[in-house]
Amino acid sequence: MDFSLEYTEEQEEFAKEVREWLDKNVPKDLVNPRDPLKISDEQRQKRRELGRKLGEKGWLLPGFPRQYGGSDLDVDHRFVLSQELEKAQLAFPPYYDSGLTLAASAILVCGTEEQKKHHLIPICKGEVVTWQLFTEPEAGTDEANQQANALRHVRDKDYFILNGQKIFVGGLTTHPAPPDRFLLLTRSDLEAPRHQNLAMFFAPANLPGITIQPLDLFPPGTFAQISGVTVDTAPGVKHSVFFDDVRIHESYLIGEERDGWKVATATLNVEHGGGEARVPRQNFIIERFLSYCKSNPNIVKRLKENPQLLDSVVDIYIGAEIERLFSIRNAWLASSGRRAPYAGPQLGLYAKIFGGRLVTEMAKVLGPYAVTDDAEWSLEEGMFEVGQRAGVCFAPAGTPEAQKIIISRALAIGR
Amino acid sequence: MNLDLALTESEEMLKKTALDFIKRDAPKEVIQTLQETDTGYTEELWRKAVANGWLGVIIPEQYGGTGTPLTNAGVLFEALGTGPLPGPYFSSGILGSLIILEAGTEEQKQRILPAIAAGEQILTLALTEPEYSWEPGAVQTTATSKNGDFVLDGVKLFTIDAQAASHFIVAARMGKEADPAKGISLFWVDSKSDGVSVRRLSGFLAGRSFEVKLDSVKVPPSAMLGDKGGGWPALKQAIARAIPVLCAYKVGGCQAVLEMTLEYSRTRVQFGQLIGRFQRVQDMIIEMVNHADAARWTTYEALWKLDTQRPATRSVHLAKAVSSQAYWEVCTLAHRVFSGVSYSKEHPVSFHTRASRYLYHYLGDPAYHRQQIAQFLTA
Repeated sequence: MDFSLEYTEEQEEFAKEVREWLDKNVPKDLVNPRDPLKISDEQRQKRRELGRKLGEKGWLLPGFPRQYGGSDLDVDHRFVLSQELEKAQLAFPPYYDSGLTLAASAILVCGTEEQKKHHLIPICKGEVVTWQLFTEPEAGTDEANQQANALRHVRDKDYFILNGQKIFVGGLTTHPAPPDRFLLLTRSDLEAPRHQNLAMFFAPANLPGITIQPLDLFPPGTFAQISGVTVDTAPGVKHSVFFDDVRIHESYLIGEERDGWKVATATLNVEHGGGEARVPRQNFIIERFLSYCKSNPNIVKRLKENPQLLDSVVDIYIGAEIERLFSIRNAWLASSGRRAPYAGPQLGLYAKIFGGRLVTEMAKVLGPYAVTDDAEWSLEEGMFEVGQRAGVCFAPAGTPEAQKIIISRALAIGR
Repeated sequence: MNLDLALTESEEMLKKTALDFIKRDAPKEVIQTLQETDTGYTEELWRKAVANGWLGVIIPEQYGGTGTPLTNAGVLFEALGTGPLPGPYFSSGILGSLIILEAGTEEQKQRILPAIAAGEQILTLALTEPEYSWEPGAVQTTATSKNGDFVLDGVKLFTIDAQAASHFIVAARMGKEADPAKGISLFWVDSKSDGVSVRRLSGFLAGRSFEVKLDSVKVPPSAMLGDKGGGWPALKQAIARAIPVLCAYKVGGCQAVLEMTLEYSRTRVQFGQLIGRFQRVQDMIIEMVNHADAARWTTYEALWKLDTQRPATRSVHLAKAVSSQAYWEVCTLAHRVFSGVSYSKEHPVSFHTRASRYLYHYLGDPAYHRQQIAQFLTA
């Protein structure tokens, strides 16, 4: 066995190329606050620009076929790319975009050749940013319970008329510009049985009749999303999207009119951890926390006076080690082309449950400093307070309970 | 990519051989019987294990073993842990060998290691005492010089595999020093020596834990392993290297219990449906999977670090803290899924429950290893 993430010679060579490119193209004045809300519009603009450059280079979806804007890179090279971006404190891509993670896979698997050419290239080039619109007020974990209707226009048969509401959508990309595309799941048939009554669209986000409203939520994203080297892919803000007699041309339909669930399943597999290997990540908040346990006189004194708190510190360390090892295991599974049906959702589940638990343990150790981002008195500019807010965020990419349903199926005990 | 968590071809073969051995030579009826015996093995099983080279798996070739890496031993003990196969295989072949390798003189290595590999000598460590601890301060047993020999006096408690052992490695104090780690010597003691008495501790879950009394036990100078008073650092090093192999045995136990629980939940019907369909049962099984995988990967990473001469201290503490707890919890959860049927002494879950309990504290319990982790996190 070899647990090392060191590069092979071939990987090292590619890494050099990547480092040189990043050195030339990454703006020197990028700042990395812990709270996604604290990234300025100007900073977001720089990240968006960097995304376009990465796309031009074919590195936004490097594993995708060259003809659709990718680079045909194998796992070993993709691994290098994500490692080097991480070293440069950049997320991959450096902003929130469901197009790259979900829509591109859906289109590649279920789209027509014409759709692939038309849609994939702008996604891969970083020209468009996409939001995923699956969740509704009545369709949370029960994703198939769609109420927003996209029904064939009575006279104009090439069009669908869409009405309804989506919720918990997107990220901070309305600043400085709104999203360009929607990956949209809707009900397309009021009579057909469950799972056969849905349609998936990949459509422009600016059609007449669409209203986007931000939600006033307190979590910045899940703990995993905000504890990496940067918070760029954490949503920060979510939205409601309303559709009021929106006309969508049938050419935006991905798959057949009643294939929506099949297409959604293909993307959900990716979202639930079945796709690209997640590279083992440096956990910024835990690292800072552990260094505080050694160096902050206040914390050191608390630990001395109350040895029971040491248990909390050790719990955090052990949990982080297990999460790290699960991600290394998953990276190995992906890189060696092995299938372990429960490994993806297991890591997702573990990260969320552990995230929830570790913020509790952190608060025990840090005291009330854990819950303030006060400019004068907080620790690390409120880093731990962001962590506390993220620690109660379980829903993105499926609740732990949804992950358990998937794991149970993989273990052949679920329905 | 260098990252590769697959077993090598030879490790796969070893795993298969060991799993076949469990299936053919140590099925559950045999394991149940072995558990009741004081030695945990039969001559026939022992001979087969020796013939397979398992007692010399980490002993260098020049001392009669095959000298394979610790990871290889981990693969072997993971397979044996699925039984869980009782007997002094780990005590002698891994821990005993490592102590001789770390503490012994060249002459002692040449004399003792080939005998371990050939299964002719069976060693076990007699370290812990009534004040139970894996720290040097708890060693109260004394060794005094008398007419050129040494005389040992004391009580060694919770000594694993003592009845099977032909020899004990006894840690004894030779003088009071300010640093408790100093002044401890290690002795290779014939278990049939005058003054040695061995008694198995009672209790279903006590497994093969023993009291070993040393009452004026006389040993020659050649029995002292290494330097006088310098035994502790060598012993500590040997234990650190042995721990992940013991953890691998627990990983095998976790995996076996998990698999039988999965199988049961796929066949057992209550309220007109398979119990695996109940989400509360699924919750327990998913917790078991997480425990088993956490134990597995912490263990194999520690083995890899040791085999590649990377700093491994943290990983060893982590592996032992995680896998001891994992094995314990996996068994407890299995009893909740199986319920009544698993309380039978004939039921394999009960074998593992027993092993998970009596091996929980062995070589340091989770509380001890967590304390070690806490020290480097806050120092």
